[in-house]
Amino acid sequence: MNAMMMLVVILLPILAGIPIPVLPFKNRKQLMWYVEGVTILTSVLVLLMLLNRPTDSFTLFQFTEELILEFRLDGLGMVFAGMVAFLWPLAILYSFEYMKHEGHEKIFFMFYTITYGITLGVALSGDIVTMYVFFEMLSLVTLPLIMHTLTREAIHASRTYFYYMIGGAACAFMGMIFVLNYGGSSFVMGGTLDMAKAGENVNLVLIGYLMCFCGFGVKTAMWPCSAWLPKAGVAPTPVTALLHAVAVVKTGAFATMRVTYYTFGTEFLRGTWAQNLLMVLIIFTIVYGCSRGLKETHLKRRLAWSTVSNLSYILFGVILMTPAGLVGALSHMIFHAAMKICLFFCAGAVIYKTGRNYVYELDGFGRKMPCVFVCFTLSGLALMGLPGMCGFISKWNLAKAAMESGTLLACVGSVALLISALLTALYIMPVSVRAFFPGKGFDYEKISDVKDPNWMICVPLVLLVIVIFYFGLHAQPIIDAFQMVASGM
Amino acid sequence: MGIWILLPIILPTVAGMFLLVSSFLQHLKSTESELKTADSSLKPIVLITLAVSVAAALYVSWTGDKSITLFYFMKDMPICFAVDATTALFVTVVSVVWPLVGFYAFPYMSHEGEEKRFFGFYLVVYGVLMGLNFSGNLVTLYLFYELMTVTSMPMVLHNGSREAIMASLKYLFYSMCGAYMALFGIFVLHKYCDTLAFTEGGSLNLALAQGNETIILIAVMAMLIGFGVKAGMLPLHAWLPAAHPVAPAPASAVLSSIIVKGGVLAIVRVVYFVVGADVIRGTWVQYAWLILSLLTVFMGSMLAYREPVFKKRLAYSTVSQVSYILFGLAVLTPAGMTGALLHVVFHAFIKCTLFLTAGIVIFKYGKSRVEELEGIGKCMPKTLWCYTFAALALVGIPPASGFISKWYLGQGALDANIGILGWGGIVVLLISARLTAGYLLPITMKGFFTEKKPEEIGMKKGEPPMAMLVPLMILAFVAMILGVFPNGLISYAAQIAATVL
Amino acid sequence: MAFVQNLPFICILISLFTGPLSSILDGKTAKKLNLVMITAVGIMSAMVLAFTISSGTSYTYMMGHFPAPWGNEIRVGVLEALMATAFSVIMLLCIVGGSKEREEELESTKQNLYYIMANLLFCSLLALIYTNDIFTAYVFVEVNTISACGLIMIRQNGHTIEAAMRYMIMSLLGSGLLLLGVCFLYDLTGHLLMSNIKEQVQILASTGEYQIPLLVCITLMTVGLAIKSALYPFHTWLPDAYGYATMSSSAILSSLVSKGYIILLIKIFYRVIGIDVIRASKITNVLFVLGLIGMVMGSVNAIRENNIRRMTAYSSVAQIGYIYMGLGLGSEIGVIASVFHILSHAVSKALLFVSASGITCASGKNKDFASLTGAGFRNRLAGIAFTVGSLSMVGFPMFAGFISKFWFAQAAFENADHTKTFLALLVLIISTVLNAIYFMKTVIRIYTPATALAKERNYQNITIRQQAPKSFAMICFVAMNFLLGMCSEPIMKLIQSGLEMFG
Repeated sequence: MNAMMMLVVILLPILAGIPIPVLPFKNRKQLMWYVEGVTILTSVLVLLMLLNRPTDSFTLFQFTEELILEFRLDGLGMVFAGMVAFLWPLAILYSFEYMKHEGHEKIFFMFYTITYGITLGVALSGDIVTMYVFFEMLSLVTLPLIMHTLTREAIHASRTYFYYMIGGAACAFMGMIFVLNYGGSSFVMGGTLDMAKAGENVNLVLIGYLMCFCGFGVKTAMWPCSAWLPKAGVAPTPVTALLHAVAVVKTGAFATMRVTYYTFGTEFLRGTWAQNLLMVLIIFTIVYGCSRGLKETHLKRRLAWSTVSNLSYILFGVILMTPAGLVGALSHMIFHAAMKICLFFCAGAVIYKTGRNYVYELDGFGRKMPCVFVCFTLSGLALMGLPGMCGFISKWNLAKAAMESGTLLACVGSVALLISALLTALYIMPVSVRAFFPGKGFDYEKISDVKDPNWMICVPLVLLVIVIFYFGLHAQPIIDAFQMVASGM
Repeated sequence: MGIWILLPIILPTVAGMFLLVSSFLQHLKSTESELKTADSSLKPIVLITLAVSVAAALYVSWTGDKSITLFYFMKDMPICFAVDATTALFVTVVSVVWPLVGFYAFPYMSHEGEEKRFFGFYLVVYGVLMGLNFSGNLVTLYLFYELMTVTSMPMVLHNGSREAIMASLKYLFYSMCGAYMALFGIFVLHKYCDTLAFTEGGSLNLALAQGNETIILIAVMAMLIGFGVKAGMLPLHAWLPAAHPVAPAPASAVLSSIIVKGGVLAIVRVVYFVVGADVIRGTWVQYAWLILSLLTVFMGSMLAYREPVFKKRLAYSTVSQVSYILFGLAVLTPAGMTGALLHVVFHAFIKCTLFLTAGIVIFKYGKSRVEELEGIGKCMPKTLWCYTFAALALVGIPPASGFISKWYLGQGALDANIGILGWGGIVVLLISARLTAGYLLPITMKGFFTEKKPEEIGMKKGEPPMAMLVPLMILAFVAMILGVFPNGLISYAAQIAATVL
Repeated sequence: MAFVQNLPFICILISLFTGPLSSILDGKTAKKLNLVMITAVGIMSAMVLAFTISSGTSYTYMMGHFPAPWGNEIRVGVLEALMATAFSVIMLLCIVGGSKEREEELESTKQNLYYIMANLLFCSLLALIYTNDIFTAYVFVEVNTISACGLIMIRQNGHTIEAAMRYMIMSLLGSGLLLLGVCFLYDLTGHLLMSNIKEQVQILASTGEYQIPLLVCITLMTVGLAIKSALYPFHTWLPDAYGYATMSSSAILSSLVSKGYIILLIKIFYRVIGIDVIRASKITNVLFVLGLIGMVMGSVNAIRENNIRRMTAYSSVAQIGYIYMGLGLGSEIGVIASVFHILSHAVSKALLFVSASGITCASGKNKDFASLTGAGFRNRLAGIAFTVGSLSMVGFPMFAGFISKFWFAQAAFENADHTKTFLALLVLIISTVLNAIYFMKTVIRIYTPATALAKERNYQNITIRQQAPKSFAMICFVAMNFLLGMCSEPIMKLIQSGLEMFG
């Protein structure tokens, strides 16, 4: 397939999204068909592209001789693009119902659609510069989505978000300079570092790597830069669900994979102090995120802290610097997307139908919103790593990779994974128990207004749960695909 | 042939799910008041399901070794089931106890309400237990171990009171904690073992393990403690006394007699079928394990002795007794293991009987504290006789069953080359037996020999309904008779022990 | 000699003469004259640029054909022509963009005075760019100071007079130091023409004579120019001066005037003293450190401001810090980055000042942040323009700031001294974040829907047409910003070749 196709899928949502506020839609329905149409069309194109991979790269533009915008679709990009393309139409469907009560829909859908294009841009970037450019753009276009409600809190959150993002980007930018000077900018499995040059200044290059990793890692809310994510939970749920559990944060994880495996190269990095330092940070984040989630009673914020921890699972896989580690990271990237988006959608459905935000307000909801809470419980169990669901598979792969790499820190990391799983149980299960078993003599009349939302919200939930089970029970094909990616497709 | 293994796993699960869904749908449709009336279709469904699956389970487990690989999570994670001697033993115990308690539960649950939900979970847990017992490798075992936790939790919180919910969450978190510790062990063993499928004598790859003993031992210790959670071993035993008293009596009976054995089974599988007893013999892991189990034996008895709430006292007693089993496993000698397996069987019947008695007391009189039971023997002599037999068996007075298992445990301890822990352990077991007598028998004494006049007792005379009394009697009878004619069982257990040691 | 070669001189001359000429014209005519003049200069400079590019060399132009050491020379190369062209364009847009403000804020009798000052200022800038004579440079520095004071003070309120006084004092201090330096240098070398001085300095450097006087005179000149271009900690005059002057003055002052001095400084480094001597003197290290401190402190001060104009002014302190940091790296590429940043900052900062004025106009001329709430909706173009300017300042890809950040980082990276590399990279990161903090805070503020306050005060929406000149300026600046961001390669090449000819 023609390499130009990549440009098409990136530009289609962007160009179709920009005029949304001025297009003359007669009613919501037309808007809905337009947005859903564009999204599905893009997703179908992405799918076609995945099936028929364009092998050559496509250079769009040159800022300077070094700064080139280049697109290429390789294995890692395919995984990420596939994930995004699958989830976006679902999220759009959900948001149509959800955004009814938030208002300013046109603006919302404009940015939401543009974000799709830019996320695909990150996936299809062929070199670190392009990735960086889309990375920055992503921060910018998601800013209005966070401040959507325009409350004081939302504005404060969006500011925090942006400061973190800019800081991260600045850091990554400096790292990028190292890349440009010590190797090639484009992504090649195994790294593009010029060993002759890098060999002389090992520590310098490692500092560059650290900057890159931490800079891109800000988007994955790695400690100490994790505070923005729970704050950003004030955004409408489709944003928190899709962007802050998947698109934006996974972009960060994706970028760290690119940097580690495709730019600096694991051969060079493995066993260095940079790896150890990052691993310590990541392991700490894994536990820290969960502990904060445990303390939080605001449901969405609790889930956000859980995301912090789970994203560091992915980073843990990345930092193991073995193909198996990458497989684990990729599997958790995909599986966590399904699980967390489902959890967020459930939390959103509760907010949408009842306006309740806090865990202690959910007594007895299980009986009134069966679909939502069954899905919540199932995806929660998956997140805890119950065998038979996808969370277990990724945890298994991560731990296996950690064991194979055999260092002490990796072992500590796999222990951290399990501690975090336990903490996950501690913050997820009480919600379900509360919802289904409100206690003796609970008066259901008090919550008689609570009902399951309509199909536009329930269908995505059920689909996601099916995905969770499917990958939990039959993971080998997708793991094989990841292995192919990790071995350098 | 192997396909039949799936029947006792899937059938109760499906039937249970059906009950659960229908109960849930009822709740959605109708108001609270309409739900009070029991569903007439419930009883046949439960009974038929149990009958079919118990028959299938017994048939499958006693007709020779077989196995089936169901499917693969991933290439290195097959879900497979297999039957061997250990499986047969555990399956039989579960399959005998489970329907009996089921009978008992019909009248009992009618005063707790929400029967459909209870029986739904009751069936599902049976299916899961079968899965656990039949599992042919560590991953499958872990899968069903986790499922057992999740599905048995609703039985604990059945009555929905605040403390029941807190207790169930405590149960969940302790079990999860244990499960994750075990999972860590699985991660490690996955690397160092040739296969995670259960092989007699273990499948540790000694060449690979060379030089990595520390991590392997840590992993084994983690698994012992982790699976030990379910078995109520120190330091993570605290869920047991919290969960048992609040659960309905049938639930606490099966929890205490069957589900804690899930932990024991898992430990047996890990130690004897995956790692191999030789690997841990003489290491710090064995000593730590011995010490932990002995401490638990002693502490459990002491706590039970001080405990005034009947069901809680029994729960502490379980803590203590299951650690007898663990002690027997920890000595790593054939005799010890034989004793442990025997005690698994005996304790299942005995503790079930005891809990069912406690349930009857609550069911009939609503009394839950020990000092309130004075004169109870005059009101329901048959029930109390059953209790007394079981109590005697637990204390280990010959010829009741407990004596046999303790004999083998003691012998095993002396056989093992573990120094002071050998005879010291026996001393602890004996002290604990004294304590057991001390906390169980006074109930009998005061129940029969009270100075109070019948009218002072304040309890109406009369035995419980037959559906409750008969299972109780059967269980008590089995507990006794196994002590009188133990030879078949002993040789069977000894044979298992011989194959793995 | 081609005719084109005369043009730089003509440029200086016409801008010099239009100044006094404006004093006899009324405001409107003066304005027209001013615009025509700047346009003409711009066109001529562009022609010169084209000529120098095609010829590929620089040339000196003797005024009145008197050879040195009697005559006065100007020297034209790619870099000079580029700067002159860019400065004329920016100047023109600033004047155009601020025309409405001037009509409102200045007394009608003083309208033409403004253009006198503007013309003179422009003339002095051109002279600073082109001159090859250090004393001429000094003279025009003074012209520049006085006309800049005039531009500040012409809008008369308490603030501007105070600000102008402060500016005057600091500037005179700066030019005094510069004069001292020039005197010393004359004493040491006996020349005023730059190329001649350089020859002598090289000899001095190679023989090792007069090291300390030479160092003193380098220091004097550098510090003098640093004061004038508001390098931290000599920046105290800047916020008031930029913050309260009329908008076009602020824009011109921040984007051009301080840059004129920096170009002069670069000139002194390369053409008068010689970059090797400068490096040896370690003065670059001082500039580097001060630049770094400026980058941080300017932004910190900006964060604490509650007035959009003063905030933008403080941001200039930070940006000047960037430029000095680049110079302080002491490498060729550092200077290239600095020169590029002169352009990119000029374009962005002028844009910010113009659009900030558009925003304040839509908020009843209030400059505090509370009043600006929702201004981005009331004046859409200004809102977008301000956003673009801010993003450029933050270093967002596709805008000018990104490229300068890239080159600064690249320059820092290629520095042989790794301490400097790390310091520079670290401060770049910090400063980017700080920039984001105050600029994005403002952007978010102007896109927060209006509060009750705005309704109560009945702020009016402003359409593009209502502010046509300003809109024109904003659109042009945005376009230039974008152009610099996307197609920086040719400009970088020009700067590079210009700098090669420079030495």
